[in-house]
Amino acid sequence: MNELKVFTEDQRDCLQEIVNIAMGSAGDSLARVVETFVRLSIPKIRTIRPNDMASALVSLSSSESDTVSAVRQSFQCDKGQDGLRGEALVVFSQESFQDLAELMAYDEILTPEAEQELLLDISNILNGACLNGIASQLSTSLSYSPPSILGQGMPVDELVQREALTWDQALSVEINYSLENRSFSCDLLLLMPGSSIDYLCIKLEELIEED
Amino acid sequence: MAIPLLICDDSNMARKQVKRALPESWDVDVTFATNGIEGIDAIRGGKGEMVFLDLTMPEMDGYGVLEAVKKENLKCIIIVISADIQPEARDRVMTLGALDFIKKPINSEKLAEVLSRYGLL
Repeated sequence: MNELKVFTEDQRDCLQEIVNIAMGSAGDSLARVVETFVRLSIPKIRTIRPNDMASALVSLSSSESDTVSAVRQSFQCDKGQDGLRGEALVVFSQESFQDLAELMAYDEILTPEAEQELLLDISNILNGACLNGIASQLSTSLSYSPPSILGQGMPVDELVQREALTWDQALSVEINYSLENRSFSCDLLLLMPGSSIDYLCIKLEELIEED
Repeated sequence: MAIPLLICDDSNMARKQVKRALPESWDVDVTFATNGIEGIDAIRGGKGEMVFLDLTMPEMDGYGVLEAVKKENLKCIIIVISADIQPEARDRVMTLGALDFIKKPINSEKLAEVLSRYGLL
């Protein structure tokens, strides 16, 4: 097992600010769709091992709900394996759907199919804005796989069974989006392999030196 | 006399970016604060007649600082510099007494434009 990669304090601070700016842009995109103020909190950035994956999922704010739904999408930059790549998971608390349906003026009853559509739509909005926001600040661009449903209306313990980390370590970036006076809560969890951490270290160092 | 200027942001990089974006000719005495609690203390201590304030911060966020300044009737001019670019975030800080709102990332052109708009240069 390789040693856990660590950022210098300056690199971590720089990455945190890049993620903040990307989160703000994704929050704004979400706010425009639901026409409601989106509450942002400070993103959590850390390096995890495959063993930490389950607790990372369980500790998400949206996982406080009895059941959750999640969407997975992978991303990769034009540099291929050596550039920025990884997986974006968007986890929604079950209560989120009723809120979304109301806010987006869905007239019909929320069928599992309609829920799926909402899941994919909102995930696309958040992933696109956030990941493009990160990529553009690093002067790179990303391509995406189509999003797929990882699980729908299941306890988080079951979701954990479906998402294993195949890398020996990963950079985990956790961003929560919630709506004021609503129970809507969803988390965007970005997971990137060790090679992306190396790539980020170089890119962040360049940005720090420009300063 | 130099104007006491406070830059309140939890990110070291963001604080440095703001400092670097300051107009060269501006005679200011810069103080840094890394969260809202430190920020409000600095304002109380007369270190922030002019304040550049972030919103999303630990301990106390930017909204908390604006509320405290209003409540305690502290004399300062606050310009919010934030990544929370929702129009609603701007409306809220303006209601709480901020002079203006600048979207992150900051640069010297944006800052100079806002400062000269209010005759602060």
